[in-house]
Amino acid sequence: MAVPQFRTSINEYLEGLPETVLMRLYSSPATCLAIFRLQPPMAHLFIMTMLFNEKPLPISWIDSWVQDSSRLKQHEALEKLRSMHIIHETMDSISLQKTFRNSLRKAITGGDSNNSFGVPCDTEDKHKVDIKFLDEHANAQWELILHYMVGTGSGRVPNNGVLQLLKRSGLMEGHPPAPMRITNAGFQFLLQDVKAQIWTLLLQYLNMSEDLQMDAVEVLHFLFMLGSLELGQDYSLSALSPTQKIMLDDLRDYGLVYQRKSSSRRFYPTRLATTLTSDAPVVLTASASMDSAMARADGESGFVILETNFKVYAFTDSPLQIAVLNLFVHLKSRFANMVTGQITRESVRKALVNGITADQIVTYLTVHAHPQMRKAVPLLPPTVVDQIKLWQLELERMKTVEGYLFSDFKNGHEYDVLANYARELGVLVWENRSKGLFFVTKEGNQQIVDYYKRKIQGLK
Amino acid sequence: MPRAVKGVFVECDPSIKSLVLNIDAKSHNVVIADLDDEHLVIDERQVDNVKRQLDAQLAENTFNPAELENNPEK
Repeated sequence: MAVPQFRTSINEYLEGLPETVLMRLYSSPATCLAIFRLQPPMAHLFIMTMLFNEKPLPISWIDSWVQDSSRLKQHEALEKLRSMHIIHETMDSISLQKTFRNSLRKAITGGDSNNSFGVPCDTEDKHKVDIKFLDEHANAQWELILHYMVGTGSGRVPNNGVLQLLKRSGLMEGHPPAPMRITNAGFQFLLQDVKAQIWTLLLQYLNMSEDLQMDAVEVLHFLFMLGSLELGQDYSLSALSPTQKIMLDDLRDYGLVYQRKSSSRRFYPTRLATTLTSDAPVVLTASASMDSAMARADGESGFVILETNFKVYAFTDSPLQIAVLNLFVHLKSRFANMVTGQITRESVRKALVNGITADQIVTYLTVHAHPQMRKAVPLLPPTVVDQIKLWQLELERMKTVEGYLFSDFKNGHEYDVLANYARELGVLVWENRSKGLFFVTKEGNQQIVDYYKRKIQGLK
Repeated sequence: MPRAVKGVFVECDPSIKSLVLNIDAKSHNVVIADLDDEHLVIDERQVDNVKRQLDAQLAENTFNPAELENNPEK
């Protein structure tokens, strides 16, 4: 399934919350709408049919709407709704959770009195800002953080809150105010796109806020509210709780909101905030900004020479560049203006184990190739590129799946019934009818056993 | 009544599979079921052990230039 990474992670966080916390979350229409938007399309269909229906919905109806070939999606959608306690189930019917239903109805039909969608300022701002300014502000704030991480900033250091967050999320290590070092996780973080980066930091922020005795429900309400605000509109602080006002200070540091002064009574959401729960792309991509950061630090872009015998010569004295190379090159000697090293199986494996991919290594070497190498076609020696990719394949030689092996069926019919059911659920990993064996995932096992008890034993 | 046995399903090349069978031949507690040329089911407690032994065997078959420099005699 091509679900973007950030969505899965915020969904996972929500699924991990206890039922009581979720019920409090669902009291806000804006939050319900945002959660609705995060669900898969099939779940949208189910929620919408149940939304204005007072009576529970028979499960057989749902079964009849979905084609047999899409049982897997139906199963996934219901599982999602179940794990977030959005639906109530009885033996043969399902209904929407009441709080969730009321809030989502309010979100769609209006009539919300809780101000959960934010309160626009009713007075004119004397220092009004336009969308272009907000975009620039958001980019500047976010890039300040990225530049600080790669150590190419203009010497400006992000606020203490940001530093704490970077440290907590394991992206950097060290003790502020002493200079911090970027970690391997940090390098991977830089290669993600902006939205994934923001969610990574915000989820860490959620974890941290719990330690600071901030109410996770209010934090989430605020984040989801931001996702439904309008870009370019100013909003009043009056509807925010004290916790949310504290949050506003932190979010300002990340560039998610803009305030002219910290004492200002109004705030503007930036594009980083308003696209949080939508599919719309964010303006800048992180790898582009990292590339520009690297290019600027070096003055000229290329400095790496890679030879067919896997030897690497890098004309640089920047500690950052050398640190990056050290991730996947076995460095041997260091001179005043260059380092030499060799790409070996061990050095590449070390990088792969740390989660860096072969493609990332090849891209890095291509982007930073020395002008001298640009004469060659193809740019990088094919032997080396192929070998790096082969080393990656080597690590994936064994594909393993935990689960259960089913055997000893009474007859072919029994095998067919169970194997078909497992296939519909999408839990079937491997089957061989003539041997009378099939393998299902760990998650699917219980359902197969239940099904067996219902269908086959029930017939007797 | 069908039987369900807990285990870890492994998909790999025939060459890797034969190495796994080799490991099993020593202790007989690894492989639960030999499905076909590229698939088998192994004991979940042995997965890490098998991966380690496989790595070691494959490392023996590779040329390591760094090692060569340290011991030129070899």
